[in-house]
Amino acid sequence: MSLTILIGGKAGQGINKVSEIMSNVLGNFGYYTFNYRDYQSLIRGGHNFNALCISSTPIESHESKAGILVAFDERTIKTHKKYLIDGAVTITAEDFKDEGRNLNIALAGCLTKILGIPFIELKKEVKHQLKDSAKAIISAEKGFESQKDIYKLKKLNNKISRLSGSKAVAIGSKNSGLGSYIAYPMTPATGALHELAAEQLKQNRIVYQAENEISAATMALGCSFAGKKTMTGTSGGGFDLMGETLSMQGIAEIPLTVYLASRVGPGSGVPTYSAQSDLDIALRNGHGEFPRFVLAPGNPIECIEKTSEALFLAEKFRTLSVLLSDKHLAESEFSSTASPVKTPKFEVKRKIPGTSIIKASSYEADKFGNVTESASLTEQNVNKRTKKYEDAKKFIQKNFEMIKIHGKKNSKNLIIGWGSTSGAIKDAIKGLDAKFLQVLYCKPLSPQIKKEIKKATNIILVECNVTGQLGRLIREKTGIKIENRLLKYNGRPFRSDELKKYIEEIL
Amino acid sequence: MNPNDLATTSENTWCPGCPNNMILASTKKVVSDMINERKFKHEDFAITTDIGCNSKIFDYLKVSGVNALHGRALPLAIGMKIGNPKLKVMAFVGDGAIYAEGMAHFIHAFKYNADMTLVVHDNQSFSLTTGQPTPTSQKGYLSKSEPLGVFDQPINPLKLALASGATFIARTNARDMEHMQEVFRKAIEHKGFSYVEIIQDCLIFNVESNSKDKRMYKIKDNTSKKAAEKIANQYDYNAHKGKIPMGVIYKVNLPTLEEKWPQLKKQLPKRKITSTKKASKKVKISKKKKSKKK
Repeated sequence: MSLTILIGGKAGQGINKVSEIMSNVLGNFGYYTFNYRDYQSLIRGGHNFNALCISSTPIESHESKAGILVAFDERTIKTHKKYLIDGAVTITAEDFKDEGRNLNIALAGCLTKILGIPFIELKKEVKHQLKDSAKAIISAEKGFESQKDIYKLKKLNNKISRLSGSKAVAIGSKNSGLGSYIAYPMTPATGALHELAAEQLKQNRIVYQAENEISAATMALGCSFAGKKTMTGTSGGGFDLMGETLSMQGIAEIPLTVYLASRVGPGSGVPTYSAQSDLDIALRNGHGEFPRFVLAPGNPIECIEKTSEALFLAEKFRTLSVLLSDKHLAESEFSSTASPVKTPKFEVKRKIPGTSIIKASSYEADKFGNVTESASLTEQNVNKRTKKYEDAKKFIQKNFEMIKIHGKKNSKNLIIGWGSTSGAIKDAIKGLDAKFLQVLYCKPLSPQIKKEIKKATNIILVECNVTGQLGRLIREKTGIKIENRLLKYNGRPFRSDELKKYIEEIL
Repeated sequence: MNPNDLATTSENTWCPGCPNNMILASTKKVVSDMINERKFKHEDFAITTDIGCNSKIFDYLKVSGVNALHGRALPLAIGMKIGNPKLKVMAFVGDGAIYAEGMAHFIHAFKYNADMTLVVHDNQSFSLTTGQPTPTSQKGYLSKSEPLGVFDQPINPLKLALASGATFIARTNARDMEHMQEVFRKAIEHKGFSYVEIIQDCLIFNVESNSKDKRMYKIKDNTSKKAAEKIANQYDYNAHKGKIPMGVIYKVNLPTLEEKWPQLKKQLPKRKITSTKKASKKVKISKKKKSKKK
């Protein structure tokens, strides 16, 4: 069973509230949900919508056709009419305008009835959300009574938990004992900043907003030098500014983890929409040659795991870890019954000020940390950093999951993708003779990728960018050019049915 | 510990006679003295520097620290304080780095008020890169990058600092080691962000702005903001005439970064020995308030 509810309206009307309540009700009822948020860069007005997908089996993406439309305004009906299945139900907020601030709850009442979920489930959720819930429950009843039950969902026994990528990054950070997060707000990295800031006192961490991204990254480096487990975070534009600090990290060898949540570039681009177009800068931002790791989780559970791995690796090898996400992963709400793997625990054991005399430098330095211009020392230091990366590569191959294979393991049809696109690919290949190779480490790249490509007869690259950045990386590392490429670059992530159609056309 | 215990084996590459040597000697003296007086431990002291002749001081001091990128000594230092609020931190920078590349950090540092010291070696020239003008270079200064001469008025960093909410501003002379050491000590002892501007000659570039010693006069430590504004206005980094006030131009006690953030405050040592000093400081503050009312 799978169904999509489209909820649309102006910014500020409360569409997120409707999907939140319904996601909770559905989760408690044992159903998987995936909530895609499509919103504009404005505070009030415009047109925003959520696509809330419901399924009895795991899903990690949304579909283009909806069975229920919840319209807060006329524009929603006009915009989404063409995306409705035959016999779709439309609920308009206009019909419940008398409910005032409980309008969202009345609409949730409608949805609860249409889905065939007992009223008590919604009542529980409303009571959970509001201290004074009496009036809200009356509104919920009004909505509930106004509809017919169409979908007749049966209660399932799945223990569902829901998470966004942003929340998951915060959880991974907490699991690893992050001591400070220093950042400058930029969509869509701000979600993680908010999550980490909200719980800072309880979780004994400091979350500091600096005057710009250069300062944020530099402060983070100073903070890490002083002995704290530290992370900074930003989106593409801020990451550009951080370039010099990343380079500084390379030579100073002070552990640093950067959370990079991409959006549509170049420039200010389309700020509240999604793209996978920053893999290149994640791999290369910063002058000079120095080691780094680029980790690309594809769902919140992987975000928890890879955040911890990024912090672990940065500290262990005194390197730069880039944790690469994007708007679609950071802000969509996923559901799951899985739990993350055990956190790789670590402590700061290097020499730090306060207990030792220790120097770090942006210059090539001697063993004391003082400037050197010596040819032999320069070469030695470069060799040391290069070897460090080789050691780290071996360590990662041995200890961490660098790729995942989904779908039919013996299929000759191979789809390759990474990050937030993984969800749509996993859902699209259901029922197809295909397997999906998900790349979780973009640097280092797993040697397994070449072997998988060699085994396959049809290979398709799927990415949300125009040049096929992972494809180029694979070609650089393996010499193999992937000819079939499904690339989307309009700021909107792939929908599973749309992607399935494209894949079927190629196979 | 004597000052030379803070020396390193790195080769000194400053020009012969460069006043940076005097700044280095003063730093070694004050820091070693304060370590001997148990004001802080050698391991608890750290510096940040960035790029320019001045920042070579990093290599000549045997203390912890980070030699940062151009203009970034301040965020690195503040980051260190967020990481470990118990550290005693000094940032040594040049006028080019801090007032040009690092200006945003300079202004915000006053607002954050981290308990640390910023020392600006101001010779009104980007000397290491052969004498291009900096934001404090005088109008008309001829250089290879601006051969038509600087068209603009120099900025007055002291006025900027005052406007940005500075809690400690001092000016000293690189040639007057006694005064410099006195100012350094006051700056380090100040609870909050202390900003020390050192007027310094460069022997090679922008020599026309050198030798201002005769125009300098020493002021008493000032705690009035109004008076501070007047003092800061006396010298605009441009005129070849007029007086240049030296000393503690403004001082006020306001909550520090380490006190404002509960996560940092609880890491600070609770020292009872300083309670008498605190009391005397409080008296000073109340006096100040009275004088303001007058």
